[in-house]
Amino acid sequence: MAASGNLLTFVSADNVHIEVERDVAERSLLIKNMLEDLGEATEDIPIPNVNEPVLRKVIEWCRHHKNDPPASTEDEDSRRKTTDIDEWDQKFTQVDQEMLFEIILAANYLDIKGLLDVGCKTVANMIKGKSPEEIRKTFNIQNDFTPEEEDQIRRENEWAEDR
Amino acid sequence: MQQARTGPGAGAKPRKDVLASLKMASMEEISRASLPAEIMSSILDYLSPVDLIRVARSSKLMREMAYDDTRWVQKLKRMGCWDEVEARKHAEEAFGTIADVQSVEHQEGVDTQQTSEPGSGVSQTAEADLQAISDGFDQIKLSTSAAIDMLNVSENDPVLGALKQVRSVRGEARQEYGKVHAALAPYYNDIVTSGASPDNLLFKNFTDPQHQAQILSQLQYFSECDTSEGWYERTEQLQTAVSMFETAAIKEFRHGYETEDIDDRMRKYAHVLYTLNGGNAAVELFIHHNHLVTRRSELGKVSDCIDPLTQRIKLEHTQAFFTRLSVAYNEEVSIINRAFPSSVKVSTPFIEKVGQDVLYPLLTAIFDELHRANTESYLTAVSGTFAQCLNLSDTLLPIQNVDDSFDEFLDHVVAKAYEPHLDLYLAEELDHFRKLSEAAVGDWDRQLSEQAASTESFLMSNINRQADKRDFLTSFKKVIMAPVNILPSFSGNKANEPKPDPAPSDSSLKSPNRFSTIASPTTPPIMEAPTNELAAKAAVMKSKLEGIRSLFSIEVALSLVHAAKSSLERAAQFMQIKGEYGAAVKRQCEAIFVALVRILGNRHLIGGFNNAVDHLSNYRPREQGERDQSGVEPLVTFLELVNVGDLILQMIDVFYEQELVGNKLTDRNDFLDPAVKEKKKFEQSLDERVAAGLNKGIDVLMEEVDYILATRQLATDFNPSVSTDPYRKTMDVSITEAAAAVVDVVSSHTQMLVGSTDKSMLDVFNQEVGLRLFAALCKHLKRQRISIEGSLKLISDMNHYFKFIQTFKNNDLLLYFKAFRELSQIYLIDPSDAKELATIIADADRFNGIWRVEEVYEFAERRADWYQVKRDVERAMYGIGCNVM
Repeated sequence: MAASGNLLTFVSADNVHIEVERDVAERSLLIKNMLEDLGEATEDIPIPNVNEPVLRKVIEWCRHHKNDPPASTEDEDSRRKTTDIDEWDQKFTQVDQEMLFEIILAANYLDIKGLLDVGCKTVANMIKGKSPEEIRKTFNIQNDFTPEEEDQIRRENEWAEDR
Repeated sequence: MQQARTGPGAGAKPRKDVLASLKMASMEEISRASLPAEIMSSILDYLSPVDLIRVARSSKLMREMAYDDTRWVQKLKRMGCWDEVEARKHAEEAFGTIADVQSVEHQEGVDTQQTSEPGSGVSQTAEADLQAISDGFDQIKLSTSAAIDMLNVSENDPVLGALKQVRSVRGEARQEYGKVHAALAPYYNDIVTSGASPDNLLFKNFTDPQHQAQILSQLQYFSECDTSEGWYERTEQLQTAVSMFETAAIKEFRHGYETEDIDDRMRKYAHVLYTLNGGNAAVELFIHHNHLVTRRSELGKVSDCIDPLTQRIKLEHTQAFFTRLSVAYNEEVSIINRAFPSSVKVSTPFIEKVGQDVLYPLLTAIFDELHRANTESYLTAVSGTFAQCLNLSDTLLPIQNVDDSFDEFLDHVVAKAYEPHLDLYLAEELDHFRKLSEAAVGDWDRQLSEQAASTESFLMSNINRQADKRDFLTSFKKVIMAPVNILPSFSGNKANEPKPDPAPSDSSLKSPNRFSTIASPTTPPIMEAPTNELAAKAAVMKSKLEGIRSLFSIEVALSLVHAAKSSLERAAQFMQIKGEYGAAVKRQCEAIFVALVRILGNRHLIGGFNNAVDHLSNYRPREQGERDQSGVEPLVTFLELVNVGDLILQMIDVFYEQELVGNKLTDRNDFLDPAVKEKKKFEQSLDERVAAGLNKGIDVLMEEVDYILATRQLATDFNPSVSTDPYRKTMDVSITEAAAAVVDVVSSHTQMLVGSTDKSMLDVFNQEVGLRLFAALCKHLKRQRISIEGSLKLISDMNHYFKFIQTFKNNDLLLYFKAFRELSQIYLIDPSDAKELATIIADADRFNGIWRVEEVYEFAERRADWYQVKRDVERAMYGIGCNVM
């Protein structure tokens, strides 16, 4: 299925063909750079790391944000201003945790900075206010501390104890 | 998390198939529900410090990531208390001593300075300040030593000095942040959760407003590093609290200012506000509600400064205004110095405000009013008040710790107040001067044409005016050097007129050593002497030079120069404004000078010269009825004219040197400069006129000589034998009347030129006169008949001419008259010595080759006994008749 005009075709890991407008696809810096190197894309573009539902989700995000100004260079102030998540993105990220992580990974792989940021922020919000034990559960982390070590960290950071 | 991996290695392969890398990557390694470390790390960036620590407690890897020093350094940087220099130093010396830390603190960058300032600002000030701070604790009544303790407390207090105590040590950033957090977070969270109110924990724990301000200020920095979600609302809350506190403090501050409780209340709250956020609010309030500005109407009114009758500026009143302003200003400055911490920049906005709200409106009102009413008074007002303004800025007290640029800044403010007027002023100045001088010349021209009929009579005496002229020029120079009196003195009781009235009565007696070139505007009494002396000299000169009144007037010239000088002095005031306007002023000054040269030179002087030359060329001595013994009138007039023209030229030159070059308005060596070009042009055209006039003058002079020789030389002068008096035996060796008259006429005219034209022109003139005189005498001699007895008279005549020519000190010319002397001897030779006579005639060397033999022969023919000796002479010369013998 050759791409015609402004339409590109992505092939997901589970071999599903999805048509994407070129300007939407170019939210991904990976795709954008590739297209620039390639000139006209004549064949399907495989996205082997991403399966269909995630890819559709990612494309949905890109389509909504296709008119965003290009990500500004990383200066300190912009970091601070973008901390809050806008309403659409909040709704967008209301998915189960596994899906969220998949989206983050896909965004990282496809180099879609905006989406990656949204994902990270959402995860950060998930961590907020959780106890260490809850955090371990959420992220599937093994507690590899000895009780002494755990105690030491607490003592080191007494200032961070509950208000 | 343990199997965290970096992203797929896209682009690692050569680009044969672009998609190859995509295809090669696989999903196998990715475990569900975990994220690569780099993504995890960027997630941690969004967490608040408290959450971060909790994450750190979940596993070793997480701890490593959360403890990462750069993360915490970042936060300290956001709070503005990370010092890279210090950190580097620490890294170099492992851990420096406390002394090192302190020494580094002095070099802290701008951002850290802000936070450290509250502490150091207090510690810098003297004990009195400490006392003032302790006044905050009214109930405790601390002694001075207690106050110092207090200070140390505020420095060392974990809360008050939280940010101050942060050390920039790599690897310990987290611990440092922890201290700050422990100190400030409770207050921060309190304000955030319960909103801004006087009941905040902060206000309960600390009662001293100074401390409250310090904490609030620190909280503002602290809030900078709050980047987790919802920071905006939290910061808002904090700002509300700050502004609430600020409003209260401002109120106290204002109250202090209004009740003039400066050293206590006002000072205290100025410091509080300064601690809070740099004190801008206090500065703004102080400036906007300043007594000086609100009570400006008390300083002076426009109507006071303008004389309603004459529409003149009353400079005493403006001066009074400026004095009042400076007094009021100095008062305010003392308030500033007492109340504000020295590092708050009050001076700059304050001065600007005063300039804008007090100075500018008054000046504008005055200038507008005057510009409508009276141009000259407008000009005086602009430059006068400008000088006063500059004087004013000298009397102002410096504010706080003034740097070198303060004076410059003051001038800048003054300049700014004047800038809007400057263009108009300069244009008006030039215009005014041009109009004035054109009116003066035009007026004079008109008067002249009215009395044109009576200008034919000149009463000139041929005295050498060299000395007078020099005298006059000296006075002129002195006056030029003295400053024009822009500002009347206010020290004395009576105000002098800005321009001293020329009153030539008794002032010429004043000795010139009273002159002073001190350019102080407060010394007008000294001014009077030179000006009046000049006036006196001018009057003397005027009476002497009355004869040339009809051609041009030295008085007009003098008044023009005076007008130009005062215009220039006024405009040159503004030279002190640098930059574009300074350059404009310079151009304008040059334009004034050019106008002066054009009007005075080209219109007045050159016009006069043209008249004189015309007059000279139309002069017909024969047609003139009665003759004056002393000279050829038009030539006399013309030579006087040359004198006066030279005088005026020198006047312009002195003026140029003193006013333009002396005041650095123009560069003498810049030959493209319009002023220099104009001056050169003027000098050239003057020289041309003089040359043309002299040419005509010589013609006229020679006509006169011819006339004298023709009418005065009696036939019996050189041939007394023809005389009817047979008893006359004695040899008369005195000169003839005609020769005396000729020498008199010629010398009197040549004398007049000495000193007035340059040497080379004088030489050319004298040479021409000499040669023409020689030719005239030759012609004359050939008409005479000379006897041996008469030859003695001729010889003495010739000696007389010779002596006269000697005074020219021109050797070439002298040769001709030497030859004449030799020639006259041929008449003395007795007829019997015809051979001798022939030798002399043939001896061309004797006459320096001036005459050929034939010409000498012709002269010899004029012997009264020529026909008796002719044969003998010819025989001796040509050998004719030798054979006959």
